[in-house]
Amino acid sequence: MSGAGDREAVFPTRQSLGVMKAKLKGAETGHSLLKRKSEALTKRFREITRRIDEAKRKMGRVMQIASLSLAEVTYAVGGNIGYQIQESAKSARFRIRARQENVSGVLLPAFEAYLTEGNNDFAMTGLGKGGQQVQRCRETYARAVEALVELASLQTAFVILDEVIKVVNRRVNAIEHVIIPRTENTIKYINSELDELDREEFYRLKKVASKKQRDTAATDAEVKSKKDRLAALEEETGSNGPADLLAAEEDEDVIF
Amino acid sequence: MEGLLFNVNNGYIEGIVRGYRNGLLTGTNYANMTQCETIDDLKLQLGPAYGDFLASLPPNPSTSSLAAKATDKLVSEFRYVRANAVGSLARFMDYVTYGYMIDNVALLITGTLHERDTRELLERCHPLGWFETMPVLCVATNIEELYNSVLIETPLAPYFKGSLSHQDLDELNIEIVRNTLYKNYLEDFYRFVNSHPDMAGTPTAEVMSELLEFEADRRAINITLNSFGTELSKADRKKLYPNFGRLYPEGTLMLSRADDFEGVRLAVEGVADYKAFFDAAGLGGGPAGPGNLAGGAGPEGRSLEDMFYQKEMEIAKSAFTRQFTYAIVYAWVKLREQEIRNITWIAECIAQKQKERINNYISVF
Repeated sequence: MSGAGDREAVFPTRQSLGVMKAKLKGAETGHSLLKRKSEALTKRFREITRRIDEAKRKMGRVMQIASLSLAEVTYAVGGNIGYQIQESAKSARFRIRARQENVSGVLLPAFEAYLTEGNNDFAMTGLGKGGQQVQRCRETYARAVEALVELASLQTAFVILDEVIKVVNRRVNAIEHVIIPRTENTIKYINSELDELDREEFYRLKKVASKKQRDTAATDAEVKSKKDRLAALEEETGSNGPADLLAAEEDEDVIF
Repeated sequence: MEGLLFNVNNGYIEGIVRGYRNGLLTGTNYANMTQCETIDDLKLQLGPAYGDFLASLPPNPSTSSLAAKATDKLVSEFRYVRANAVGSLARFMDYVTYGYMIDNVALLITGTLHERDTRELLERCHPLGWFETMPVLCVATNIEELYNSVLIETPLAPYFKGSLSHQDLDELNIEIVRNTLYKNYLEDFYRFVNSHPDMAGTPTAEVMSELLEFEADRRAINITLNSFGTELSKADRKKLYPNFGRLYPEGTLMLSRADDFEGVRLAVEGVADYKAFFDAAGLGGGPAGPGNLAGGAGPEGRSLEDMFYQKEMEIAKSAFTRQFTYAIVYAWVKLREQEIRNITWIAECIAQKQKERINNYISVF
């Protein structure tokens, strides 16, 4: 029977059949839309993965150069200048701005780094010796931080996209494997129920018709037998009752 | 004449310092060190020279702890020598520590300015610049108190007096304060070695003059080069140049007017040594990158700072050719400092596996 599969609890009526058919159509449209979204996101996701790989490699290189330049500073200045640097830095020179990027309806944060102009808090550090190295080290680290910012925005996008893709895929699968089969089942069930009803109806009608026929036949037979009886009676009366003038048998011709 | 009575007071010290000098790492040691693959190997190579001090380090120590231990050795040796020094040599050695003291005081000023707990800073101070009354400076909570206690408690008072007021500490960049102090210190030291009856006219005065003049010139050149592109005005810059040295007065005057690398090059034209450095640096790094360790990475492309260090080490090395002089103490400290820098550099290169520039150290023995 069609009700074996999972189906929705509806009364098998023509109206709910219409509702179900609309639902199925909606589910199919939704499925194809979500499928496309998921594909778009996956495409983006792959791209981001590739860029993360690149950014990480770049970061490795840049950080290596940066830490070597820090070693250079230590060498040139001949001591630890960390404290001076920390204390003389007043406001951030390297800042980031957060933007939002829309990928198929998913808002991805993107960080954008920029340098504030004319902000050189420790330009004088290492004035006596090693100033050049300090400045260069700062530039190198600015580049390193840039790479980090890029990586950070990619990583955030990666996490968010991952989540969204999972949700979308879950929906696609839910629609594909649960909602559509269930709706189809329901439709099938409703159809079969309706057919059943139809058949019953038909049978009933046939039954009624045949009954009617039989009744008619009976009535006919009765009428006929009544008539027959009447005719027989008539015959009886004609032979020994008053003669019918009109219905007389041939009169003998009168000859004058 | 100076040799007649020198050994009465200072013979022992001279012997000790010459012994220490022989303990400095040689070119062969450095060559061995550059072959090391890990910090542990390096530690092993340093064993003969630094054994006792490195023993307490954990396996594969960080470069900074390695450098700290190496500095510890210098400090303990210096303290030993200082404890045995008498008379004018003791004062001379105090003068040597003033340079470090300036750095420490500058550190404390920075801390006070930013209202930090200066007691924490005491650990970061250079041990050679430690003076007994330094913790007293931490009591000061504002700049004026600090200024007064510096004046009263430290030997640096003469360097503050007259050139810096307590408002200056507040308003001027700490680097300008530091360099002003250093300038005063160098001038004072120079005067001291040339006027003290025990030293004037002796090899000490001669050698120390050469070393201090070189230091003064180097500072003047570096300050000029590093001040390009900063808010340091030319007049302020001029105040930071020490009033002696081979560049003084014409060279320093020209330096104070220099606007770019080329201007500095013209200013030092008069001194053959520096001219040679600038020519080499000009070829190697170009005007954009004087003191460029990264730019001219080739074997010949040494930076200006490298060449200055090299020159300083050579002067310090030649100081040991003289007899009966205090200058060997100063020279030994400088050589040892360079050695620590070299070790740090090599250790850093090994730790970061960037062996291509490992030979950037300076070895004179």
